[in-house]
Amino acid sequence: MASFFDQFMSPTLMGIPLMALAFVLPWLMFPNPAPRWINSRFLTLQSWFINRFTSQLLMPINVGGHNWALVLASLMIFLISLNMLGLLPYTFTPTTQLSLNMGLAMPLWLATVLIGLRNQPTAALGHLLPEGTPVPLIPVLIIIETISLFIRPLALGVRLTANLTAGHLLMQLIATAAFVLLPLMPTVAIVTSVVLLLLTILEVAVAMIQAYVFVLLMSLYLQENV
Amino acid sequence: MLSRLVFVSANALKGSGHFGPGLVQASRSLQTSSQSLAPVPPLPEKGGKTRHGIIPEELFQLLYPKTGVTGPYMLGTGLLVYMLSKEIYVINHETFVAASIGAVLIYGIKKFGPDVAAFADKLNEEKVSKAQEVKDLAMTNLTQAIEDEKKEQWRVEGRSMLFDAKRNNVAMILETNYRERLHMVTNEVKRRLDYQIALQDLHRRMEQEHMVNWVEKSVIGSITPQQEKQSIAKCITDLKALAKTAQATA
Repeated sequence: MASFFDQFMSPTLMGIPLMALAFVLPWLMFPNPAPRWINSRFLTLQSWFINRFTSQLLMPINVGGHNWALVLASLMIFLISLNMLGLLPYTFTPTTQLSLNMGLAMPLWLATVLIGLRNQPTAALGHLLPEGTPVPLIPVLIIIETISLFIRPLALGVRLTANLTAGHLLMQLIATAAFVLLPLMPTVAIVTSVVLLLLTILEVAVAMIQAYVFVLLMSLYLQENV
Repeated sequence: MLSRLVFVSANALKGSGHFGPGLVQASRSLQTSSQSLAPVPPLPEKGGKTRHGIIPEELFQLLYPKTGVTGPYMLGTGLLVYMLSKEIYVINHETFVAASIGAVLIYGIKKFGPDVAAFADKLNEEKVSKAQEVKDLAMTNLTQAIEDEKKEQWRVEGRSMLFDAKRNNVAMILETNYRERLHMVTNEVKRRLDYQIALQDLHRRMEQEHMVNWVEKSVIGSITPQQEKQSIAKCITDLKALAKTAQATA
């Protein structure tokens, strides 16, 4: 009995887990620049995109945080390629696995917090109390801010997982509906197909946006602490 | 196209990463051809030609001698129908997903493909044009330097004429100076000679005047009063005679 959640199971081939292959293969999509002065169109666009993205991302962060440029840029490329490739049929999207997303979010978030606490502990702790709070509210607010701080990695991981999983699941469901309705009520099936088309467009956007949001929030947390 | 992707990226992987050079070295030790690495051969300007965006043109060229133009299409259709009929590929809901993703992708590529390609070409073009500008500037500077050098050479040729002119000039000045001095000398000599002449003239005149005065004085002294009366009476008679003759004629 094939369920809708089979697409989210870790891929195996005759007992050999293919998970590592699943999130290493997108590396093939990004060739190295050739030792040439003028590269191919694809490489030109790729390097233009990465340069532009990194400069935009690192603009609000001061110089100490620029050590994170490589991490953030490669994280963005990784997530965007995983998300976009997962939209193809019969593919496995690693970012639907909470384990992967938490594995990305938790260490990076913890790194920002520890950097903040190590280099500027007063300022880092000071983030727990927003400016201009009324004095009686201070204890409560500190507790609330601490909770919000600790929920960040959870939110990062779960946001990405939930968005992608929900999107994929919805696509499967609506496609199943269209498929089942096709012999019964062709017109309704066509309407459902149109809905599927729109949803696909949405999914493409969501794939890119979610990757960007992940990286952006990480850069934001970095900005606070550096 | 996907197979091409694998080849390209395998090549890229070979050159990248920590084990990249090692792989290249390893493969080079097995090569026995005498290929040199420099100069680097040029890359093709455009990617491989594809039919319908995915299938490489080489497949069509490969099958053309045996099956003509429709060969690959028949192959594709046959494969598809075979897979469908034998249920190697089952049509299920994923087919719909594939269809919609395919539609979105194809629409996106058809619509934005040329613009993106033009943008990439523009980026490369800017890079080339910047270098070209430097080269052109250097070229114009050098041609300008050549022109200036030629002009300098022409000027040098003219310099001998300049020297001749200057030499003539100097000679003329010297000549003029000489003539002036000659003129001055002549004038001075003339003035001195004129002075001598004037002196002699004066001398002679004074002698003459002195002699005349002496003669007059002696003559006037020698005139006695009697002689004077006689001459006066004579003059009166002469005058009367003249008056008569004058009256007679009138």
